[in-house]
Amino acid sequence: MGSVVTQLLERPFDQRLDRAVTLPGNGTENEWVLRMTTVDLDTLLRRVAQRDPEAFAALYDATRSRVYGMVARVLRDRGYSEETTQDVYLQIWRTAESYDPASGSALAWLLTLAHRRAVDRVRAEQAASQRDSRYGATTLERPADHVSDAVIAGEERQRVTACLDGLTDLQRECIDLAYYQGMTYVQVSERLSANLATVKSRMRDGLRALRTCLGVG
Amino acid sequence: MTHSQVPDPELLDLAVPYALHALSDSERNALEGRLAAAGLAMADAFYDEVRAVRETMAVVSAASAEEPPVELRGRLLSAVANDNVRSLRPSKRRRTAWMSVAAALAVGLITVGIGVSLRPSAQAPSTAEQVFAASDVHTISGAIPAGGTATVVFSRNRNAGVLVMNDVPPPSPGTVYQMWLVGDSGPISAGTMDAKAVAPSTTAVLTELGSSKKLRFTVEPGSGSTQPTGQIIAELPLI
Repeated sequence: MGSVVTQLLERPFDQRLDRAVTLPGNGTENEWVLRMTTVDLDTLLRRVAQRDPEAFAALYDATRSRVYGMVARVLRDRGYSEETTQDVYLQIWRTAESYDPASGSALAWLLTLAHRRAVDRVRAEQAASQRDSRYGATTLERPADHVSDAVIAGEERQRVTACLDGLTDLQRECIDLAYYQGMTYVQVSERLSANLATVKSRMRDGLRALRTCLGVG
Repeated sequence: MTHSQVPDPELLDLAVPYALHALSDSERNALEGRLAAAGLAMADAFYDEVRAVRETMAVVSAASAEEPPVELRGRLLSAVANDNVRSLRPSKRRRTAWMSVAAALAVGLITVGIGVSLRPSAQAPSTAEQVFAASDVHTISGAIPAGGTATVVFSRNRNAGVLVMNDVPPPSPGTVYQMWLVGDSGPISAGTMDAKAVAPSTTAVLTELGSSKKLRFTVEPGSGSTQPTGQIIAELPLI
């Protein structure tokens, strides 16, 4: 095992994950690390499906800051975010066997599940509160504003932030309103006074630009 | 790649909103119907796009990463450490099963007698077990001003919930804590807890949630009241 790998293994698991996702696939040791870590989350999830509490703890540690941070950005309330994150991980514990590696990465599976619950919660709260001021016209904040420095390796965050900054304002706004404020694309078009076709194409173009910029498969 | 003959390009335009959960329930259902009718090639193209969006947003999550409160880890780990629901055989030891599920919520479970229906049935999975297994399970927790916390895990589909109280100070002598499910038609008693039942950790099963919107806690004289008369010490919204 080479030195890079050894160093990575000595880090807490979540940093290994972030570090590994950051590494460019240049055909050397680094690429191996990326694959290894990907396999790790898959393996953990498989062990969680067998009701292995240690694997669950490792999976939680590896993903909690991403999951909680995303949920908190959608819900904008500490208590709701904590409850929803708890529900998300209990659901992972119960349904890990339904994860199919062929349909995407383990991290994408977790975050999709978490985002679904966060959006359901924000819509339920909005319905309940008739869009009170907490969820109403909050000014859009950029993701970087919420970041706690210690959590994610700086370079990974910077890379993502740079890619977000590379979007046009309208692309970024469409993605923000839909993904982080839980709006439907119809609501986004109302909010922005833009027609539906425009909103759909800005979302699609924005996602494609992000995907290219981040080098996602 | 080979999408030159795509029959319904408009359908493909909805892949991004679909992947971002930016469709209403009815829009999503309608879309899934159209997809089923559009054939395999279209569905493949659609879900490829959905996958790519979700992988991208998984990477983007680095930008919003934030540490959750530390207590959450302990709560989750004790929940799963005690959750052996799935490994139970169907007919044996239901009481143990119920206790394990209850313990899944409480950091430490102390069995207590409280005036709430705890009815582990010999035949069916216990209420707590059903709540845990429900697809719409939700958790609400709140601090009780006098001290301690109350957490309710509940399922509307199952019409039931499990209440866990930790470190709540006992009621004054001669009084009990009483729980009320509050709906449009007013509060309905959901049981009482006396000093013995309260500390340091209590679990109780709540059945018949009905259309209740809140779980309210009051202090009541003697062994409880038919309608709340005393001070409200806490309320948890059941949404």
